[in-house]
Amino acid sequence: MFELTDQPIDSAALRARLERPEAGACVVFEGWVRNHHGGRPVTQLDYEAFDELARIEGDAITAEAEEAHPGCTVLCVHRTGSLAIGELAVWIGVASPHRHGAFLACRQVIEEIKRRLPVWKKEHHPGNIAEWVNCTTESTAGRLSPGNYYERQASLPEVGASGQAALAAASVLVVGIGGLGCPAALYLATSGVGRLTLVDAGRVEVSNLHRQILFTADDVGAAKVSVAAARLRMHNPLVQVEARDADVTPGNVLALVAGRTAVLDCTDNFATRFLLHDACRQAGVPLVQAAVYRFEGELNLFEPGAQGCLHCLWSGRKPAQLETAPNCSGGPVFAPAVGVLGIMQAAEALKLILRLTDPIDFKQTRLINLLDASSYGIERPADPACPVCGLAQQTETPGDAAPPPRSESSDDFPLILQPQDIAALGPVQMIALLEAGEALDAATAPAGAIAVPMVDLIRIRELAGKGPAILACRRGLRSAALARLLRIEGVGRVYALAGGLGAIRIGVISA
Amino acid sequence: MADSTRQVQVKFFAVLREQAGVSTLDCATAARTPAELYRELQAGRGLQFPADLLRVAINERYATMETPLSTGDRVVFIPPVAGG
Ligand SMILES: [Zn+2]
Repeated sequence: MFELTDQPIDSAALRARLERPEAGACVVFEGWVRNHHGGRPVTQLDYEAFDELARIEGDAITAEAEEAHPGCTVLCVHRTGSLAIGELAVWIGVASPHRHGAFLACRQVIEEIKRRLPVWKKEHHPGNIAEWVNCTTESTAGRLSPGNYYERQASLPEVGASGQAALAAASVLVVGIGGLGCPAALYLATSGVGRLTLVDAGRVEVSNLHRQILFTADDVGAAKVSVAAARLRMHNPLVQVEARDADVTPGNVLALVAGRTAVLDCTDNFATRFLLHDACRQAGVPLVQAAVYRFEGELNLFEPGAQGCLHCLWSGRKPAQLETAPNCSGGPVFAPAVGVLGIMQAAEALKLILRLTDPIDFKQTRLINLLDASSYGIERPADPACPVCGLAQQTETPGDAAPPPRSESSDDFPLILQPQDIAALGPVQMIALLEAGEALDAATAPAGAIAVPMVDLIRIRELAGKGPAILACRRGLRSAALARLLRIEGVGRVYALAGGLGAIRIGVISA
Repeated sequence: MADSTRQVQVKFFAVLREQAGVSTLDCATAARTPAELYRELQAGRGLQFPADLLRVAINERYATMETPLSTGDRVVFIPPVAGG
């Protein structure tokens, strides 16, 4: 429960409200107004809040802590108005059956309050000088800056200031915060990936601790994503970490992967692996997948729109069939094996963002064996019968026994259309697919081109379904993937422009 | 008879390596395809793993269980791995 008050905080009265017979511990945090900040004397603080917003956010923060630490009851009160030195600015109390959860929940609430609560403070200094300070950045200002945090990384010629900026602008989804996900997320955060989203519905178990290195013995029972996100923010306060305490499902997968720079599959089951793979293909997002058995692991990079997909790799076998394999998951595991593979996933994601990926890595499986420190690459060719990525197999929908009728018209143009063939198509709708943050430059765009966000599949389907349509994206990869998908769905005359928007000089502005 | 046997190198991964007891095996075989080779290995090395769930690679490239084998081929059998 969260409250805002413009009256002095009575800590004894608040503590009394937390008393309950089942509680065996109470942890209280008090934030006081101190007489100095950033090396300057302070005489008074004024707190100002967006009342409605602060109450909603505050309630969310306390509810998240109670959810992450079962059994805990959280009460948090934040002051507004003018406060003198020594006065209580924020009070957090957590009552719990056990002390571990109480300490963790209390810490989580104050860190989230500092990070998210829309409260500003005005510092008064001697001599009638006052200035507004953003509470959310106050704790890190001065100590950390991108300049000093990334100094030893940005000085790599392969990274540089532009690479570091690309990392800061990147958004990476990590699914599965276990043996692979913990080290992967840790390295992505410390390398400066600007936005990380962690997805996992699990709770920390004692048997996780030997390999899931973001968790400590005190975290047992807590929501994995909450603990991991809090720890990553402590490692690098310069990046945003978002926690989703949920499973990936067919209902939420597209929204989770859309617009990401890369997705890391750190899960432990084939159903989720195929779900993520297909969604990444549909949304045009590169996927970095790893899996481990005891001392050995396997790493695969999938490029959207390319051939040699996960369905090719398994020759059309279905997840349910693969799950029946003996000793497939849940068995014994050598901790460094998941550590090495997880860090390799992070490395591949960082290389994607920094454009350091060797194209051959998109087309092979890498097998790693920690017992003899060996690495073995296997080329992943397209399965000629693949229902998902093969150009010649556009009529077969995955899982369908009988192919739907081919709705393609009699024209002879291939799915990937060369710019010089546009005119020969006759009247055609050009659809410019925009990534998040992109806008179409009206000055140079050809007349009649419609710009649609890449994630708006409903609109793209509707436009492409009306007749001949050409999809064009920045480089031509995502448009090819989408055009294939639409053909599989039965949309006939849809094409992808070879070479992307650059090929016909449609202006795109990165916002 | 010389025409009907071929010398191949077999590499095992994960649970198959454990069942075979070795990482690599050089063998002379009458098998014409990976499917036939795997049946021989099941009998000869006690491999328990169901053949229909395996991936096979020949000379560092995924192949099918029906791809013809030649002398000198490097054959890898890879079971599904999903742990994370
Ligand atoms: Zn495929």
